[in-house]
Amino acid sequence: MLKNTLMTLVLLVMAYLFYGLYDGYELRDSLSGISEHFATKGAEEVGAANLVTAVVVTYRGFDTLGEVTILFLTASIIAFFLKLKDEDFEKTIEHRDTSELLETASKILIPVIFLFGIYVFINGHLTPGGGFQGGAIIATGVALMILANPNIKLNYNVIHWVESISGVSFVIIGILGILLAGGFLDNKIIGLGKFGELFSAGAIPIIYSFVGLKVGAEISNILNKYQKSQKEL
Amino acid sequence: MEFINLGNIGLIIGFLLIIVGFWGVLTQKNIIKIIIGFSILNTGINLLIVSLGYVKGKTAPIIDATIATEGNYNVADKIVDPVPQALVLTAIVIGFGITALMLAYAMKLYKAKKSLEINKFNDLKW
Amino acid sequence: MVTPIYIVATALGVGFAIGVLNKLGRNFTGGLVLTAIAFMTFISFQWFAGFYSGNQLPEYIFTAGFQPPLSINLLMGPFEAFFSLMVNAIGLVGGIYMFNSLKERGSNAQVVYLILLMGLNVMIMTRDIFNLFVFMEIASISIAGLILLESGTRSMGAGFKYILATSVISSFLLIGVIFAYYFVGSLNIDDLITSNLHLVKGGSIAIFLIMMAVILELKPFPANGWGLDVYEGSDAGLSAVISGASASASLYVLYKLMAIAGPEWNYYISLLGAITFVGSNLLGIKQENTRRMLGYSSIGQLGLLTLIIGFKDILGENTIYIAFGILISHYLAKAGLFWLSGIIKSKGLKGWSVVRKHPFFLFLMGTFVFALIGFPPFPSFFAKWTLVMDLTATGNIAWVVAILFGSMMEAVYLFRWLGYAIKAENDHIEPVKIEWSKIIPVWIAALSLYGIGYYTAQLSEIGSGINFIPFLFVAVLLALDFLPIFIKNTLAIAGMAYYFYTVYPSLDNLRLIFEVIFMVGGILALIAGYAYKGTRSGFYPVAILMYAGLTGIIEANTTLEFFYGWELMTAGSYFLIIRGKRSMPHGLSYMLFSIGGAYALLAAFGMAQVSQISSDLDIINHITYLPQWAYGLLIAGFLTKTASVGLHIWLPGAHGEAESDVSPMVSAILLKAGVFGLVLALIGMGAADNQFSGLAYTLGWVGAITALVGNLMAVFQEDAKRLLAYSSIGQLGYIVFALAIMTHLGWLTAFTYSINHFMYKAILFLTIGAVVLRVGTHDMYKMGGLISRMPFAFIAVLIGIIALSGVPPLSGFAGKWLFYNAVLDKGWYFQGIIVFFAGGIAFLYLWRLIHTIFLGQLKDNHRNVKDISIWFAIPIYILIMGIMVFSVKPEWVLQPLGEILAPYFPNGQVNWVAGSASTALGYWSGTKVFITVVGVFAIAFAFLAISTRKAHKLKQFDIVFSGERPDRPETTHIAWNVFAGFYKAVWPATIPLVEKFWDKVTEMLHDTAGFTRRIYSGNGQAYMLHLVLFVLVTYLVIIGG
Repeated sequence: MLKNTLMTLVLLVMAYLFYGLYDGYELRDSLSGISEHFATKGAEEVGAANLVTAVVVTYRGFDTLGEVTILFLTASIIAFFLKLKDEDFEKTIEHRDTSELLETASKILIPVIFLFGIYVFINGHLTPGGGFQGGAIIATGVALMILANPNIKLNYNVIHWVESISGVSFVIIGILGILLAGGFLDNKIIGLGKFGELFSAGAIPIIYSFVGLKVGAEISNILNKYQKSQKEL
Repeated sequence: MEFINLGNIGLIIGFLLIIVGFWGVLTQKNIIKIIIGFSILNTGINLLIVSLGYVKGKTAPIIDATIATEGNYNVADKIVDPVPQALVLTAIVIGFGITALMLAYAMKLYKAKKSLEINKFNDLKW
Repeated sequence: MVTPIYIVATALGVGFAIGVLNKLGRNFTGGLVLTAIAFMTFISFQWFAGFYSGNQLPEYIFTAGFQPPLSINLLMGPFEAFFSLMVNAIGLVGGIYMFNSLKERGSNAQVVYLILLMGLNVMIMTRDIFNLFVFMEIASISIAGLILLESGTRSMGAGFKYILATSVISSFLLIGVIFAYYFVGSLNIDDLITSNLHLVKGGSIAIFLIMMAVILELKPFPANGWGLDVYEGSDAGLSAVISGASASASLYVLYKLMAIAGPEWNYYISLLGAITFVGSNLLGIKQENTRRMLGYSSIGQLGLLTLIIGFKDILGENTIYIAFGILISHYLAKAGLFWLSGIIKSKGLKGWSVVRKHPFFLFLMGTFVFALIGFPPFPSFFAKWTLVMDLTATGNIAWVVAILFGSMMEAVYLFRWLGYAIKAENDHIEPVKIEWSKIIPVWIAALSLYGIGYYTAQLSEIGSGINFIPFLFVAVLLALDFLPIFIKNTLAIAGMAYYFYTVYPSLDNLRLIFEVIFMVGGILALIAGYAYKGTRSGFYPVAILMYAGLTGIIEANTTLEFFYGWELMTAGSYFLIIRGKRSMPHGLSYMLFSIGGAYALLAAFGMAQVSQISSDLDIINHITYLPQWAYGLLIAGFLTKTASVGLHIWLPGAHGEAESDVSPMVSAILLKAGVFGLVLALIGMGAADNQFSGLAYTLGWVGAITALVGNLMAVFQEDAKRLLAYSSIGQLGYIVFALAIMTHLGWLTAFTYSINHFMYKAILFLTIGAVVLRVGTHDMYKMGGLISRMPFAFIAVLIGIIALSGVPPLSGFAGKWLFYNAVLDKGWYFQGIIVFFAGGIAFLYLWRLIHTIFLGQLKDNHRNVKDISIWFAIPIYILIMGIMVFSVKPEWVLQPLGEILAPYFPNGQVNWVAGSASTALGYWSGTKVFITVVGVFAIAFAFLAISTRKAHKLKQFDIVFSGERPDRPETTHIAWNVFAGFYKAVWPATIPLVEKFWDKVTEMLHDTAGFTRRIYSGNGQAYMLHLVLFVLVTYLVIIGG
């Protein structure tokens, strides 16, 4: 009882704090600050039709590098945290048979899902979407694979190579920005191209492709570790 | 009713979700439920972020034929703020990473004590 | 200059590449990671060197080819370079330390470590607040992962609690950041600073949330249970990195963001820091687990630093100096201690006694502990000094009290720990295995502390005046510690003699008296050291350290130099005292009273400094700011060293248990440091009847009661050395009393007593110590009849006690005579009677020394015991000659003394006519008294010798037990409990009220700590609640309802 009262009190004070913030909010009818610049000049400076992508990959590209790092970190930590002992590694888990429906559907859907994921990250500078979204979609494909065949052995080497190469490439493109253009992660290392086309917005499609591959590999890796670690029980 | 608009509604719901999330985090004993609490909390914050980027009556910050004409890509009076949308992407990814790590911890903690009660894991104290 | 963006690029490039390079093996990846860190360290070092030389201007690093605020930018300025260097350097050295534990977990763990450092670097450099959030998350997640290097449920639990806590913190941060963006329209920190965000409705709440988050990252008390669990549960190497790198980076983030919050936040930041410093250190005293205790200490130190940066506007340009000194000491010392804890592997504090198997561990550990508490020559000493001076000068006394109280608590648990390491009873000590990769980092940390300490001293004007030569001599002796005693002793004596020779011409007469006591006395005591065999490991460095401190306080020109010497002396004497058998508790109480006293002095010097231009020691002669308090504190501080009643409980054990030649050092010599301090303080107060007469009057009572209590307690001791120790308390009581009289005669008395006490107490302690070395016990009832075996010792003790008791013809009488003159002259009759009564009691215990030890029956096991060692006899008989000269020709000493004191007390001097002294009350001639008494004695002795020559000599077996076998044979010894009757009369005065008082204080502190720390229930959810409550309560306090 006392606990509930205390908790209610805590949440009420928190609500009071939030009210102070809410009270300072006013619905705006025009852009201000840096966003105004992005809306006005963004297309011209970066060449991406999707202004969110322009912000994510170029203006705030450094944050994006951090994001990728966070996923990478999580995957690395989970990799050594959930690492199996050698004797567990060869075990297979007895699963209930997966349904015919799931197996068949997965065979049809997985290539489509992968393709869709790739589409999303390649077109990230034009349409809603991008590397993270595309990568996540690819990972759902992997999730489906694991669901359909719980004892599947994913090819580690492929995952690691994809992850590693795309990560290193991202960093190298960033450094190229220092050498060839205005600074770390500048997308103007190659021409901006024609606005609105696939090959435009400088290095953004390339960066986003690497990000997509890396995110897809990273999440697949995490999923795989989760699945494998059940052997330890 | 001036506050019935996307911005205010988003904020109110966002704050409510945050409070609900905190409630879950601070009262639920089951580790999985606590993790769910954090997910709700994060969702609330994400909702706050996008709501704050809302501009009255404007559309998504993607330049296409509906809001711009060839050669004039100044869309300052047509779109909502793109920055919060970029930030929310980052916030989501970070939230994802932390949730994944928490879940891995939950698995291992469960294996260690065959329990998910958070108050069982107080070997270190005082 | 390599642009700092390569710190990020290198870390990430290597990190990402290792995903495929791990095929080449873990040693390769580990080496690659270390190389990457080395390159990162090089980059930050290069910038740091650039800024240090003054040729470099701060540089912004832009990303994405756009100017901020459009894009994220980093700043590399002097602070950034410094902090980044700190992070990378400890990352490199700590990476070597953790090489094997990382390797065991594989390349993934190595990468996580690398990225942790990268994250911390960006936290330091970034000028974008959302970017700050992202990289703070990177650092947090890395730490949450690296906690798992240590396997087991404990560390897993700690890691999970850490994630929960940091998730709550980052939620607050993110809400704050996004609203700040909404109000300002930019995420750039520089824009936020100029935006007047706090004026916007709701803006102050956004600032509040951001500030709360960065403060919570520093683990403020009491919302820090999660941080403590991490320190306790994680790998030692990681704890070092968290404490050194992560905490430093978080501190800088707070500093950086304070510009957004504006000056109105400074007060609250300091307040939260002070609460953390005091609370954390208070709770630390209950800790028995090393890592957790170090965690409390780390958090406390960060609290202190938070306090300091909150005062940045008040401390002005000194802020950097102060924060640097505290931070760098904490950074190196704590890393060193955490690293050591990983080598020692013992969880409990008592297990640290294993360091005794590895003497150099003791050196390392001692270095770190002393650096943390702020002893010279470490940077923290100079920083703490400046901090207290500046805070006092600006009238922030309450803050000084909080800082000193917190430091005191920290000293309690750190020195208890050090005491365990040096002395704890531990039968089964297995030496630990030492890996080179683990011990080298510890050495680097320790040696850096000395180097940076010296550098820190040179940075300040006042600190650069300090004479480091004696300290260097200590270092030389430490390096030569492997040599045999004979060489080291000769070297030590030669060094002291030469130093005395070079320094004495520069001293005024007043100081010369004390310098002679310290240095000549020190040399005499050292001569006894030749009696020891082997290498006597560790003795000479610490003994010389004490003498270096003693000469330091004599030579001091400034208050800082005085305090420097004072602290060196304390450190050296602590180690000397704790060397004795069963000295662990006494060493600790000595240290704590000394530190308490030193803090009183520090505060008093701070007050003296107020509205003074110079910082010469003379400023204590005209204190204007709260002078009653300042002089009171000075006196109280010095009274801890003279062991006056109330502050004396450390002395009997410390002196009684010390080694035979250490007891005279710490009793006859060291106590005079307190006397010297009192002399300076009282000179400052001035002789005239002024506003301070009340203080002097109180001091007189303290002296009188000390004399009584000390002598009374001495009477009931069965242990010869404790008897002498209590006797010292009583004797020092006389001196304090005489000084308090504040007249020419009073001071002449005090100086006479000081010189006498030095001589006879040295004689007695040396002789008894030498006897103890022969018979192997301190207990008097286990001795007896030694007169036949040790005639030289007997004569020495006889002369010593005659001199001490103050009967004619020896020099003690001179003191007595002057004393009564002074008391009657002053009119302090009642106190005078108490002291007179105390003098009578002295006979009771002095008689026992002769009667119990040398007379009576010789014990069976002492039949073949030899006389005292020649090496003890030499200094003893030199001192006896001194006493004889003083007794026969007192005017040789007293006349010059009178002249020395004349400038301070011109009235009421003693008149000397041909060796005969006269005052208003009477006259006295030392020489005549001597001749008369010796003559009378010779006649009586001759008469007795002739008249008793036919007397029957009592043999051992003339005594019969009548067939009874006593259960406790010592009770049949004539000397056992000899004063039982007397005890019945005076027992109320012997109740150890003071001990009980201090026990009660200790108990209360422990109870408070024990009760309070229960909030750290170990439940992760409770920790989250603490965080939320911390934020909400602070919100209600700062922003208000």
